[in-house]
Amino acid sequence: MDTKVYLDFNSTTPILPDMKDHVISKLSAFGNPSSVHWAGREAKKEITWTRNLISQNFNCHPLEIIFTASGSEGNNLALQHFSPTAEKNEIVCSMVEHPSILKPVKFLESKGFKVRWIPVAKDGLLDLEYFKTLLSTKTALVVCQLVNNETGNIFPIKKMTKLAHSVGAHFHSDMVQGLGKLRIDLAAMDVDTASFAGHKFYSLKGAGFLYVKRGVKVPSLILGGGQERGRRAGTENVLAISSLGYALSQYMPHFETKRDELTQMRDWLENKILEEIPGASVNGAGAPRVAGTLNVTLAGVDGETLLINLDTSGFAISSGAACSSGTQEPSPVLRAMGLDFEEASQSFRISLGWPTTLSEVESFFTTLKESVVHVRSLSTELTQVDQGVQF
Amino acid sequence: MKKRVLVAMSGGVDSSVVAALLKEQGYEVIGITMQVWDYSQSCDITPGQGTCCSSIDVQDARNVCDLLDIPFYVMNCESKFQAFVIDPFVNEYLEGRTPNPCVNCNTFLKFDHLFVKMKELKCDYLATGHYVRKTEDNGETLLVRGRDQVKDQSYFLFTLPKEILPHLLFPVGDMNKEEVRNHALRFGLLNAKKRDSQEICFVSKLGYAKFIESRVGKDLLNSGNIILLPEGKVIATHNGIHNFTIGQRRGLGFEHEKPLYVVKINPKTAEVFVGPEDLLFSKEFSVKGLNWMTSIQDGEKFTIKIRYRHGGSQGQITKVGENNFKVNFDEPQRAVTPGQAAVFYRGDRLLGGGWITSNPIQ
Repeated sequence: MDTKVYLDFNSTTPILPDMKDHVISKLSAFGNPSSVHWAGREAKKEITWTRNLISQNFNCHPLEIIFTASGSEGNNLALQHFSPTAEKNEIVCSMVEHPSILKPVKFLESKGFKVRWIPVAKDGLLDLEYFKTLLSTKTALVVCQLVNNETGNIFPIKKMTKLAHSVGAHFHSDMVQGLGKLRIDLAAMDVDTASFAGHKFYSLKGAGFLYVKRGVKVPSLILGGGQERGRRAGTENVLAISSLGYALSQYMPHFETKRDELTQMRDWLENKILEEIPGASVNGAGAPRVAGTLNVTLAGVDGETLLINLDTSGFAISSGAACSSGTQEPSPVLRAMGLDFEEASQSFRISLGWPTTLSEVESFFTTLKESVVHVRSLSTELTQVDQGVQF
Repeated sequence: MKKRVLVAMSGGVDSSVVAALLKEQGYEVIGITMQVWDYSQSCDITPGQGTCCSSIDVQDARNVCDLLDIPFYVMNCESKFQAFVIDPFVNEYLEGRTPNPCVNCNTFLKFDHLFVKMKELKCDYLATGHYVRKTEDNGETLLVRGRDQVKDQSYFLFTLPKEILPHLLFPVGDMNKEEVRNHALRFGLLNAKKRDSQEICFVSKLGYAKFIESRVGKDLLNSGNIILLPEGKVIATHNGIHNFTIGQRRGLGFEHEKPLYVVKINPKTAEVFVGPEDLLFSKEFSVKGLNWMTSIQDGEKFTIKIRYRHGGSQGQITKVGENNFKVNFDEPQRAVTPGQAAVFYRGDRLLGGGWITSNPIQ
């Protein structure tokens, strides 16, 4: 392929060019942050710096942050420790969560919790009224993401947290997809725990953090040394944490401008697709979405095939289908939102990022349209049935 | 403009060498593996010993593509494989026949599903590691037996529609196994020394009978009588007709002095008929579901294989009904088995084939 265009920023992001020097310079901060001496202090400084930036940007106390290796780890740390009691044995969880939420919730179910699922409609709206009916004094835990990774839909976390607290339930929110995309005020939202991952916001992979509101107890998953005040053992990924600090200090001030640019490009692409490609529909368009995410169903076009076609032309996007080496089910999120098997198999996601240019989006659209026309023009009927071959 | 080829990769040596050769020859190569079966269900995965398309093999295929610096994709075809290969496989046994699932995989997965993918991905060709060759006879593309007579896989390809043949490439069909392995070593492919997959890819070491029993309700696996021919008397009982195939001598489940062979299976009565070897021979049988790659003359004699490992024997075919044909051998052949494929050759040219439905002798 000649030119490569990356349009899968919800999956992960590259570091931005100006961060390269920062990362290289921080290689010298090699010490173990737990050491007393100069080498340790230099490394520790990076962590403290990032912790403070998180505190400023998300309105929380520095000590309410636990650094983790990933968003998945944060979700597991937040959830695994719950155990049902006679009075509190129910969990309320949205149907469109990431696997790193769903698996721990299933694990909790095996411990004896009853799980009640909050539906999300095809237009992306979470049914708040129905959510209220799911809550009771038996609810121990409510789980709902801030932003959906497939559709970009934003959920009303502040309202939901208030409702959860009114029945004495803990609220955890997977905010991984919200980092750098919308203003997050943790104190105002009043969630009990929230997970984040650096690699979604132009930082190195290998560092994330879990916000734990003061007073909330979260037993450590990883036992050992006293890092993170005994809440998460293991020598910290200083370089990745430092890169996250850099992203927060250098990029966050610009995020509103960038958000508007991305919204414009996304909307342009969305309109082009709806106008010029027949049989196209947008998933989650009826509810608030973050900028840059576009999830489309194209009738008669297999998502996996489209993905490969676009990849061979240099465009990296994501399809609604679960990764091919895994499950049969295409996008559980889209299925939960009411798309049938076929529709979910014919869906794909484009997510724009800060490096994205309009010309990239334009050339993507041209190739997309060509690929769709090509795939639809082929007859995909089985050719063998007429041969009378025995089966 | 470079021609683009989609290479079907199983993770084995043959298809890996195909990918490497085609890249060397200047094609733009895309590697693809069909995940057809969740191997965690059936097999012990021993390192270095995957069977076709298991997760070890997907990894092997991926490694080869990384080495060759070509794109690699895995397509999930589990439900199609289930519907077109596994379910019919089980069904055939329940109906007293002995199936050939590899032909169905070729028909519906490799040369149907992948062929469609080839077109969707704007490729010029679909290439596989099959030991088979192509030729042009009077402007007609035909399949020819592979040069390695032991490895020749033309038998399994008789259902291919002749229209797709010009779009297929079989780079190793002209080689013997040793040459293929040498190419693999030359390219530095790690799976050069990997053993070939010999058995049915989805059946574990436990065997096909256990496989069937795990998938079918007990009420469908009726026990029944074993009847000795020509006397016609009941001499033993069995636990299900799926345990037997025509010509089988071992594992009949009872003691017998003289060699006895399964000569017939009646699925309706769950009776298995055994007898001396001479009862295994027949000169004619019925076939249906014929696929022709070229035309034949009326009364033409050609070579017919009734099993993959059958040497082939001369005979001819006559139409006896709408979709019903009768094949006559010049010489009686041993163990004509319903459910197997009868494949026709003119010399080394593959003419076509069909499915054996019954052995009229009994």
